[in-house]
Order: sequence, then C-alpha cells, then structure tokens
Amino acid sequence: MLVVMGGSAAHHFFNKGGLKFMETNVKAGSTENKAKKSRFSSQLWFIWLCLLPVIVLVLTFTYYPVVRGITLAFQDYNLMHVKNVKFIGFDNFKTIFHDNQFILALKNSLKWVFYSLIAQFILGFILALVLNKPFKGRGIYQGLVFYSWALSGFLIGLIFKWLYNSQIGVINDLLLRAGIIKTRIGFLSDPHWAMFSVISANVWYGIAFFAIMLLAALQSIPGELFEAADIDGAGWLRKLFNVIIPYIMPTIITTTLLRVIWIFSDPTLIYSMTNGGPAGLTNIVSSFMLSKVFGNGEYGLGSAVGIVMMIMLMLYTIFYLFATKSEKAGDF
Amino acid sequence: MGVTKKSKYLYLGLATTVMAGMLSACGGNSNDSSNSGNTNNAAQSNNAGSTQEKVNLRMIESLTSPARTELLKASIKRFEDANPNITVELISPPFDQADNKIRTMLGAGEDLDVLEVRDLTINEDVTNGYVENLEPYASKWADYATVSQAAKTVASIADKPYFIANGMYERQMFYRKDWFDAAGLAAPKTWEDVYNAGKKLTDPSKNHYGFSFRGGPGGNGYVDAIAQSYNGTNLDEADGHFLKDGKTSIYGTPEAKAALELYQKIFKDTAPADSINWGFAEQVQAFTSGVTAMLMQDPDVIGVLNEKMEKGTWASTFLPVGPTGKTFYGIGAAGWGMTSFSKHKDEAWKLIEFLSSPAENTAFCKAFGLLPIHSSASEDPVFQEGPYATLLEMNTKPEDYIPLKPNYSYTEIGDWGDVVMKNTQAWLLGQASLDDTLKILDKYWQDQKAKLAK
Amino acid sequence: MQKKLLVSAKVVYLALHAVVMLFPLYWIIITSLKPQKQIFSSPIHYWPETLTFDNYKKLFEFSNFGVYIFNSLLVSIAAAACVIAISILSGYVLARFKFKGHKHIMFGFFLTQMLPGIGALIVLYKMMSSMHLTNHLASLVLIYTVGSIPFSTIMLRGFFQRIPSSLEAAAMIDGCSRITALFRVIIPVMLPGIAATFIFAFVNNWNELIMAVMFIDSEASKTLPVAMNSFVMKFDIDWGAMSAGTVLSVIPTIIVFAIAQRFIVEGLTQGAEKG
Repeated sequence: MLVVMGGSAAHHFFNKGGLKFMETNVKAGSTENKAKKSRFSSQLWFIWLCLLPVIVLVLTFTYYPVVRGITLAFQDYNLMHVKNVKFIGFDNFKTIFHDNQFILALKNSLKWVFYSLIAQFILGFILALVLNKPFKGRGIYQGLVFYSWALSGFLIGLIFKWLYNSQIGVINDLLLRAGIIKTRIGFLSDPHWAMFSVISANVWYGIAFFAIMLLAALQSIPGELFEAADIDGAGWLRKLFNVIIPYIMPTIITTTLLRVIWIFSDPTLIYSMTNGGPAGLTNIVSSFMLSKVFGNGEYGLGSAVGIVMMIMLMLYTIFYLFATKSEKAGDF
Repeated sequence: MGVTKKSKYLYLGLATTVMAGMLSACGGNSNDSSNSGNTNNAAQSNNAGSTQEKVNLRMIESLTSPARTELLKASIKRFEDANPNITVELISPPFDQADNKIRTMLGAGEDLDVLEVRDLTINEDVTNGYVENLEPYASKWADYATVSQAAKTVASIADKPYFIANGMYERQMFYRKDWFDAAGLAAPKTWEDVYNAGKKLTDPSKNHYGFSFRGGPGGNGYVDAIAQSYNGTNLDEADGHFLKDGKTSIYGTPEAKAALELYQKIFKDTAPADSINWGFAEQVQAFTSGVTAMLMQDPDVIGVLNEKMEKGTWASTFLPVGPTGKTFYGIGAAGWGMTSFSKHKDEAWKLIEFLSSPAENTAFCKAFGLLPIHSSASEDPVFQEGPYATLLEMNTKPEDYIPLKPNYSYTEIGDWGDVVMKNTQAWLLGQASLDDTLKILDKYWQDQKAKLAK
Repeated sequence: MQKKLLVSAKVVYLALHAVVMLFPLYWIIITSLKPQKQIFSSPIHYWPETLTFDNYKKLFEFSNFGVYIFNSLLVSIAAAACVIAISILSGYVLARFKFKGHKHIMFGFFLTQMLPGIGALIVLYKMMSSMHLTNHLASLVLIYTVGSIPFSTIMLRGFFQRIPSSLEAAAMIDGCSRITALFRVIIPVMLPGIAATFIFAFVNNWNELIMAVMFIDSEASKTLPVAMNSFVMKFDIDWGAMSAGTVLSVIPTIIVFAIAQRFIVEGLTQGAEKG
C-alpha cells in the first residue's frame, strides 16, 4: 500500500517532467537518434533504481552465504571435528558417485520429479480450466480445495504417513470396509507401492499451486480472444490448444520450470513420510543429502551433493528453456 | 537534455520513496515485536555490568516436549525465586530440530550459558570444545555423592563429567496383559518367548500382531539388542559392538546369525509387514491403539501409555534375554551442561546444581517418566510400583541384565542408524541375503575399529 | 448436448477433486475433536464417539497459541507485502526493457532456486548473529522477503509480459509518466497475477520452519510452524494438539486465500474494461 502511495505521490510531484519526456519521445520523429540516446540513459536510471533493492538484498543474504558455504564441499567438514578441517579437493564428489545409495537416489529423483510434475500439472490445469468461468460458490470452493498448498510439506508427510499406515491408517480401513481389498496394503512398506504413495501425497500437495497460478493466467486472457474464436466456431478443444495454451504459455513454462526445481530439491515430504525407506526405495537426492548431514554431521559431503544437484538443475533449466524455445516466453 | 535530468530525479525520488515505504513497512513490524527482542538487550547490558547486577542466563533444551517444557519452567521459576539476582531465559526448539539449532548456535558462539547435552551429542560437543568440564564444580557439590555411577559414566568422557544428567533412559518390555492373560501366556522372558507369544497373538483378520517392530529410523537399537544378547557372555560390556577378544564384532559371529534369523522370524510372523518402515511414532501408536502386543521402549513412554490406554490392559517386564539367559542394555541420558564460552559460569553452575538436586531431579523424573539420577530417589513410592518397579528390579540383577558402559571412543558412528536401516530393510524385503547383510554390518564396525587404531 | 455433457463432466470432476482434497482435512478436524484415548482407537471411528474441545483448550492453556498465530500472520503478511512491493518494480523492468545485464540478472534469479543451502545456513546464522538480528521477528521478515524475491520477480515478470505494452503506451500518450502508467493502468490489470504471487509468498512464509527455528529463541516471538513442530516429540506425536493446531492454522490461510481470490476476480473485470 505504502508503495502505491509513494508512487503516485512521486508522480504528482514530477508529473510535468514525465509529461514532457513522453512528448519528446512521441514527437521525436526525424531527430529519433538523439532522442533515443537520451531516453536510453534515463531508462537505464529507472531500470537500475528499480532493480537495486532486489540485487542488494539477494546478493547479501542469498549469494554471499551460499558462496561462503560452498567451500565446505571441498573440505572434510564433519561436525565431529569442526576445528580441524582440511581441504580434500574433489574427494567428496568421488565418494558420493561411488555410493550405490546415491545412484539409487538419483534414479528415484527422476521418477519422483517426473510423475509428481505431470500429475500436478495436468490435474491443476484441469481444475483451473473448470474454475475459470464463474459459478455460484466458486470462491468458497477455491478457498476449500486450495488449502493443501497452505500446509507445510512436513505436516502433509505426517498426515499421509498416518493415512497410509497399513494397520491404523484410514485408507486401508476404508478399502477393507468397501470390500475393495481383502488384505491390508503396506502403502509405505511394500516396494511396489512406496514410491506411488509418496508421489501421490506430493501430487495432492502441489495441484493447488498449478491451479492458482494457471487460474490467475487464465483470468487475464482478454475476452475478445474468445469471442474471435467463437466467431470462428472453434470447438473447446481447438480453443484450448489454439487460444488458451498459447496465451498462458509463459506462465506454463515458468511454473513447470520452477516446480521441477522445487520438487527435486525439497526433501521434507519424503523425510517425514518414509525417510527414504524401505531400503532406500523412496530416497531421493535431497533426502539423501539430509541423511548425510543430519545423520553423521557430514556437511562436506552434503554440500558436495548440493553442488551436484545445482549443476543438474542448471543443465535441466538450460535444456528446458532451449527445448521450449522460450526466447519469447520465459526468456532471459 | 534538461528533461532527461528531470526524469532522472523522478526515478531517484521514486526509488527513495519506495525504499522508505518498504523500510517503514518492515520497520513497523520490528517495532511491534520489540518487546520480544528486548531480552537480547538485557543480556548485553548484563554482560557489561558488574556481578552485582542482575545476571541473565540463556539456556536451551534439546528433548523438547510441551509437557516437559512446562516442568522445566516451573523448576526455573523456583530457581529464580531462590536467586533473585539471576534470571533464566529458556529456549525450547522443537525436538526434531533442536540439536541442529544448538550446534549452529554453538558454532556461531551465540550467547548461551546452559545447554542440554545428550549421549548422542556429548562427543561432538567435547571434541569441538563447546562444553565445559564440570569437574571443578561437581567436586564442590555435596549432592554429587548420591548421583549414581551410571549417571556419572554416561555423562563423562575420559573420566571428566561434561553434563549432569537430568534423567536416565533404559529400555524394558511393555506388553498387553489382557491379551496375554486371555491366551494363557506368561510375560515373555526370552527372545524365543517374544517370538512364540507374538506368533500366538498374531491374527491379521483382527488386525492383531505380536511385536511392535521398528524397521525404520531408530531400528538399529533393536538389531543391536538382539545381536548383543545372543552373543551373551562373550560380549565386551565396555565396547558393546565387540566381543571380549577386542577383534570380533557382534555381527561377525554364528550367534549373530542365529539372532538375526530369529529377528527375521519375529518380523515375518509376529509383526505387520508395514513395520519395516516404522519409526518411533508408528511403533508406539500401534501398541497404544491395540494393534500390537509387545513394545520395547524407554520409560518416558509410560506417560503416553497412561494417557492413551486403559489401566490394567498393559504391564511391563524385563528385557528379553538370549539363549545364555543374559541380555545387555544401554543406558541413555541427557542432561545439563555449560558452554565453554559462558560469561556467567558460576551462575550457570548454580542453575545446573539446582536442577540436579535430589528434590528437583526426582520430581522432574517422576513427572516425565525417567529414572532419577540420585540413588536415594528409588525409595520414592512412585518408583516402587508399576512399570518403574520392573525397571529398577532389572537393575538389581546385573549378572543377567548387564548394563553396557557407554563408549564414546568411536566418533563417526552417526550414520550407523542409517546403515542398519537401509541394509536390514533390503534383507527383510528379500533383496539381500542375511550373510551379506551381516558382512556389511560387521565391516562397518571393523572399519570404525581400524579408524580408532589410527 | 455437448455443452450439457461438458457441464456434468465439470461437476463430477469438481466433486471428485473436492472429496480427495477435503478428506484429509475432514480427518484432521474430527481428530481434533476426539478425546486422546479415541484418536487411535481400533476400529477406526469416522465420527467421534464423544465430541470434545479439550485439544483446543490445551493449545491455549499449554502454549501461547494466540501469540504464535499473531506472529505468523504478522511475519507472513509483512514479508509478502515487502516482496510484492519490491518485485513489482523488478518484474516490470525485466519484462519491459532489454538492457545490458538483463540476462545475467534473470539467470541470477533462477539460480537462487537451485543453490545448495546446507553450508549457507551456518554462514547466514553467523551473519545475523553478528548483526544482533537473531531472536527478532524483523529478522524473519527480512529473510522471508529475500527468499521470495526471485520467485516473485520471475512470476510477476511473466504477468507483465502478457500485458501488451500498448496499454501503458496509450496512457503515456495521455500524459502519464511511466510510473503513473504502471500503477494506474498496468497494476489494476495485473491484480490476478499479483494476488497469486502474494498468496504464494504468504504461504511460503506461513509454513517456513527451519529459519524460524534457527533465528527465533523466545516464546513471545515463536511462529506457528515451530509451535506445531514441537508436538512431534521423542516418542510420540501429540495428534490431538497437532490436529487442533492444524485446523487453527488453516483458517487464516483460507481467509487470506478468499481475500486474494476477490482480487483475482476484480482484476478480471477491470482487465476486461480496459481491454
């Protein structure tokens, strides 16, 4: 609020300047070159002043600690001997790539990210489409079904661990009562089910994110676009693919990109649901890192895993932005 | 050009207003919360002042639970009343995150005077020089004489005490007395009994199972326990993962194989398949909700059982013994230590001494379900009956129920739990053979031994 | 005919979705109304045999639950507001202008989402500790703000890009400065995106646990996730208190969602007028 007021106050104060400046621009005509130059420098001022707070804050409180912390990856930093730390080059990286559990966690991470993302996106997109046109009670409905996004991953993990429990969990009980199953299913202990169970909890958690973001994008589609499509007599499927999806493509690309990064790096759900078990079958790279750090205080190894994760995500991001030809959409 | 200059000012002005807006928005909040932050300032002014002034001690707990925090606060209140020149600021981070927060604070040298040290963290705290040797203080403390030997050992490294325990943890067996009675079974005495009784009580159609198995985090305690009791008198009590010959690990013997074969049978025939991934919560919940008949746990679970189960449906008994009639148990503890960089060491010790006094400690243990540290306390009627009685009685038979001496010489065994969990889970799922699993577990300890020799 | 089919398909989908989403909430609500002994009773009760508010009473008697809710609201809203304020400018600039360093800044924002935080937390703690910023809600506002800036900027930039620059060009021809055009013309059209971004930042702050554990010591400054986490103890999860706490913590977020939703709808109508 304050900012909006500040902005308009500044406008009233300097309104004249702004007005003239625009006039110069518009009327520039033949003297375009000269005007361009002056506009450029004033724009630069504007640009960097707007970016200044962001850059200062992010550099100080995100990059500085991270860069300082990254050195741990090249040290035998273990909490057991904080005062006697040696640089060991790339030994930590060698260690993790020789660890079968890490390789297993890598494979699991791919499954975890792929299925979670696909299901969250499709279900979230359908929900956003269904909610796009107003109907009675839509606000209440949204408020109710979006609450999952407002819970922490840790809490959701605990709740689903309980729901999925084979002995005291509700899901087995309901399936038994309904006669769908005869014997209890070990959702979190049976190797065939464990990954499905954690992914389903993650999907449950993340649908709301896509629904909210895509709904916001859908809501900003100008009505004329639809009218034009209606005049063409396009069916809803064609409208979807020819009008809606192209229009919200930037949002789709950004949200899926970010979501992949978050799903990949967030260990909380796995940590509280299965701790990577049984036998490491649901262990993902981030929960592997957590167990190294919390289990044995091996901050050096943990940081090395963190760097591997970062490199993987960077490669993914570059590939993804290239593949989606996002020069126009989520480009940078 | 003048125009552009003006617009520069515009943007400058705008940015300033925006920044000011932001700062005041954020600053407003900090004002709102300033009353909560003033403890910091108080601490600083105390540091600057002379000893005549009020001293503020900062204290942090690790095994937090809301009920326990209440007990601590009541104790602290009594301490403050007795010492009007000292105030205590108790920090209570959630259990799951507490040790992490404590080590971060210690690493940063953040103001801290008294901290809860655990058997799991003492090694780290001492190696890094975070905690003070309490010997000079304890030697002048009258009540130290009645502190039990076990409580002293568990808190000491190289015979120097680094914390004064606030209670002792020791496992025993809890069982469903009503089920055992109805089936005509006696309380289990041996691991074989656990299996046989468990099998008899297991009826999946009723969702009844014998043993609250724990294959997930923390399951290593149970694997160790059965392996140790099967190795029997060969075991080195001072080095619980090795035999007396000092070379053979408890997982490198035929006895260990027999033990783990039985352990597997207990899992397959008396425990729900789901329990392969159970941690503490599921293990205890299964018992309290009437799914399982036996639960091996520390005494602080007694409060939970009292709260959630009907009286008379459960009882307690000794730990199961191995084929030689002997078993071993670890004694765990947490307690109060002092930071090496505390600026108020005398006051900090005053607080530790107060909390560790027979009256305070016994009351605390009674209320929270721990074994008190003073030998005099066991005469208290509360410890003479019910679940505590069996635990104390077990302690009076050290020839069969042998306490393991805590061994802090291995420093890098923090991942033991993780190693046991992943490997035993793979074995119980049939992905690995018992022999291979034993080899991995054996190798782990041989490696640790080798590191020690270096 | 096709339309009718589509409508009924919509209704079925919404109903199914609601059941799946709401069942865990229902389960948490009835758990919070059960007496301790019945929470894990077997057979499972889908409706409490006896209704009780003991779990809620316990929350307020045993802890300062009201204070925690207040702290969480304060921190979450303040940080989300700061983030929006800052990110509107950066998002706008990054959407509208091409300039030297543009790519680097965008890359820098994306990169923050992938950075390894393990060692960084220790460094950050030492920084904050040496600046005497620990144990202060303002420190959380600061950290949360910084934490959400990259995402919010990226998101808002996406929303700005979708608005044709002809909109503010028109306003600027009418005599508005760029800033006025931004706040008078663009922002109203952007409200859905701003509301969505706000919700996102708010929720992130609302749930944040690790930083809140690390940086806050005193009872009076504790936030909800920390308080809720303390129901997970060494041998037990107090599901009575946990579920009651969950219910209480969900209510404010539903209210914030509902308010933000109104903005999304308002933004729609305004956007339609302008468009």
